[in-house]
Amino acid sequence: MSNVTRTWKLNGKSVTVRAPAGRRLLDVLRDDLGLTGSKESCGEGECGACTVLVDDEPMVSCLIPVGQLPNGTEILTIEGIARKAAGRVIQQAYIECGAVQCGFCIPGMVVSSYALLQRNPKPSTRAIRDALAGNLCRCTGYAKIIQAVKLAATRLAKRTR
Amino acid sequence: MTKARKNARQLIGTGMHRVDAAGKVSGETRYLNDMPLKGILHGVVVRSPVPRGILKAVEPDPAYNWTGITVATAKDIPGENVVHMHDRTMPLLAEVGAEVRYRGEPVAVVAAKTLAQASAAAAHIRVEVDPLPPLLTLAEAVAVFKATPDKFDSMKSQDIVKGDIAKGFAEADDILEGEYEAGHQEQLYLENQGVVVYPQKDGSIFADGSLQCPYFPVHELNDPLQLPPEKIRVRQTPIGGAFGGKEEYPTMLIGYAALPALKSGKPVKITYERNEDILFTPKRHPVWVRYKTGFKKDGTLTAIECDYILDGGAYLTISDVVMFRGILHCALAYRCDNVVIRGKVARTHSMPCGAFRGFGAPQAIWGIESHIDAVAAHLGRAPHEYRQQIHIRPGDSTPTGQILSAENGSTTCLKQALQRADFARKWRQSSQGKLRKGQQKLYGVGLAFLGHGSAFTGDGEAKFKAKGRVELATFANGKPGVNIRVSSTEMGQGVHTIFTQIAADALSLAPEHIRFPLADTAFVPNSGPTVASRTTMVVGNVVYRAAQDLKQQIEAFAAQHFFRGAAATLKDSQLVAKGARPVPFAKVAQAMLKEIGGASGSFQFNLPDSIRWDQTTFKGDSYPGYSWMANIAEVEIDPLTYELAVTRVTAVIDIGRVINPVTAGGQVEGGLTQALGYAVMEKMGTGKNGLYDAARLQTYIIPTALDTPEFDIHFVEYPYTFAPPGAKGVGELPMDGLAPAIANAVAAATGRRLRQIPITPEAIYEAVHGGREGTP
Repeated sequence: MSNVTRTWKLNGKSVTVRAPAGRRLLDVLRDDLGLTGSKESCGEGECGACTVLVDDEPMVSCLIPVGQLPNGTEILTIEGIARKAAGRVIQQAYIECGAVQCGFCIPGMVVSSYALLQRNPKPSTRAIRDALAGNLCRCTGYAKIIQAVKLAATRLAKRTR
Repeated sequence: MTKARKNARQLIGTGMHRVDAAGKVSGETRYLNDMPLKGILHGVVVRSPVPRGILKAVEPDPAYNWTGITVATAKDIPGENVVHMHDRTMPLLAEVGAEVRYRGEPVAVVAAKTLAQASAAAAHIRVEVDPLPPLLTLAEAVAVFKATPDKFDSMKSQDIVKGDIAKGFAEADDILEGEYEAGHQEQLYLENQGVVVYPQKDGSIFADGSLQCPYFPVHELNDPLQLPPEKIRVRQTPIGGAFGGKEEYPTMLIGYAALPALKSGKPVKITYERNEDILFTPKRHPVWVRYKTGFKKDGTLTAIECDYILDGGAYLTISDVVMFRGILHCALAYRCDNVVIRGKVARTHSMPCGAFRGFGAPQAIWGIESHIDAVAAHLGRAPHEYRQQIHIRPGDSTPTGQILSAENGSTTCLKQALQRADFARKWRQSSQGKLRKGQQKLYGVGLAFLGHGSAFTGDGEAKFKAKGRVELATFANGKPGVNIRVSSTEMGQGVHTIFTQIAADALSLAPEHIRFPLADTAFVPNSGPTVASRTTMVVGNVVYRAAQDLKQQIEAFAAQHFFRGAAATLKDSQLVAKGARPVPFAKVAQAMLKEIGGASGSFQFNLPDSIRWDQTTFKGDSYPGYSWMANIAEVEIDPLTYELAVTRVTAVIDIGRVINPVTAGGQVEGGLTQALGYAVMEKMGTGKNGLYDAARLQTYIIPTALDTPEFDIHFVEYPYTFAPPGAKGVGELPMDGLAPAIANAVAAATGRRLRQIPITPEAIYEAVHGGREGTP
């Protein structure tokens, strides 16, 4: 497959990559750019461990061929979210609520939580469950994750007021 | 019932935040596949294309370009071609001329610079097998067992006998029989299996792996690799979930990777992709269990007879011990003087089954908790009221003749769970097959009650003698502190956090002075595998005692060097002596490291002498301690589609002293969710081709955030006082009871008892409309 060259805004910085058009975004992030926070678990878009934000939408990076992402695309990974104030609030809430066990799903979970709270700052429990339904966790039973998203929402609401 | 703690600084009993959480939420924690590795080869396993047959040839295609590619077959095994496991029957790689016994049995390992090259080359190895007829499923094996028991191929059998079963049935007013079945369950840790084996100049190997039991490969691969234990070093990488799935299997992976590593002299990495991980790693054993119970008119159980058969797959591996734990839980929770339990491990031509949270107990409890509900229904009794009558309590004897001590909260769990869930009232509202006034959906509530043995069976811990060390060290940041050195692995369950709490309290140090490095057999003594709900109870005690030992040494040193011989006490991170100014711990530790080269406290676990266990007759004290749970499920079933929703789950649990209520709660919520999947959606069998019929996440469905119920989890504390701080096991127990609780709730909702899990809408439909499972 022919190579493509793309310039994206990745975690707030301009990045140019050259790769076969069909190469998965996940591989470019992890192998070419060394951003190993996004995890691969199922490799077929079912588990959400590789979730990143593409133009503010949570997407599974294992299903995205880089050729499909035009120049100027904004990509935010867990590494970028960790540098955002709202991202840190979410991460802290995960820590405090005991929402982390093995941790393998957590980067994707945090990315999906961040995306949810960006578009819906006061989500209901149902809305949180809906937003996280694409991120599988085998350790926690989700209860403490849902609790963490609620705590983060409360704290973020206080900040913006 | 967490009691107020006297010492405000005490960490045990608090929800201290996890010590490993920061790296995990930021994505900085490096799992095996996140580690940058240079100059390594990638290994691919070549497998048998048929479930059974005589292996005729494993031959690289002569026309293919093999430059730069390493191929290892059974001929390259330096020593005897056997992995020890429990009966020394399984080869590391199948040998030409011998029988292959399951589809996917490894026959060769190919390694190359890239995974793509290795995969391409692997496709050019010709594997020729003369097929033989396979026996693929437990159902086929059970059919043989029922028709011609002498032809049934059991890899291991064990009976438990108590009292006189014939007398028990003679005394009974009534008898009820029932059969219960469950299929495979996949652990589905999110991080797939993976190891890297680095061959060393001296001929030894060093392995990194996502694995629960670093000492297993050290002691299981000596014969095939011709390496003594000291020449096999194993280090744990951060584990992205395990649940038993990374107990015995990573030993095989290290064996596979070691062959091309030793042959090529280069490090070899083998990681599975999801599909390969599901197809070719061990699952929870399918079970067939048959109960025949005799009881008086008043419900008193006079006889329990049970056959418990697991599908072991093609080789025994560790299935004997899984079956042992299974039969020890088949009739544990109820009073009965006459018991016979016969356990067997069926041989089938499928991937060997293995460890998965619960280790035989969930299968046993699925059977007994369904059956006890059926007995209650037969007697016209409510399930909760009947269990309150017959459940085991302190002073009673178990099927192996163990007298339960007062440290068993069985009665409290049952009583409190019934109260918290308002069970009696909800039971009366259950639909029993007909929508009641105001109900849009069929509603049912169900109960399960159970104990789970903590730690190794019988006197296993006395024989094993878990060792551990707590030692002074200089941390990477230059500060002095204390390292915990045990072989227990952090796989998400929180051991790094709770052992930090235990060591901190035993030393009276703030947690920032304590580190728990990932287990590496070069540095940690053998405290045993991270399995069997033993870690907090047994190794936690080792850490506690070792830390107390170190504390005394620090105090003695401080007395001599800082307080002119006056008695010193380490308290709240400083050394204090009468009439003197306190000295910070760090200062004393620094001096100890400098002047006497550090210090280390150690301990070796033992059981009380009073423990009696006969491994041949299975009589005596089958576990040193028991955790208990009463588990209640509420379900709603759509009367049109039979879609099932589990809406609320109550669990009241005695796990002894709760070290960290947040991590313990997380274990319970997670375990209950795995049990939910087992009960209603995780469906997997062996297909005609010898492969699992659900081999990817699109077909093997686990619970999502939309499927989990509201949880009400409550701990009651009956500590195991022999081993301070007094914890009992929590890891496996939450997996044990929810499947039968849900089945019992479905029976209450529909009036039909389902005897097979998972309980899918299709299965409910069949049951309600008179299908094969439709026995009331």
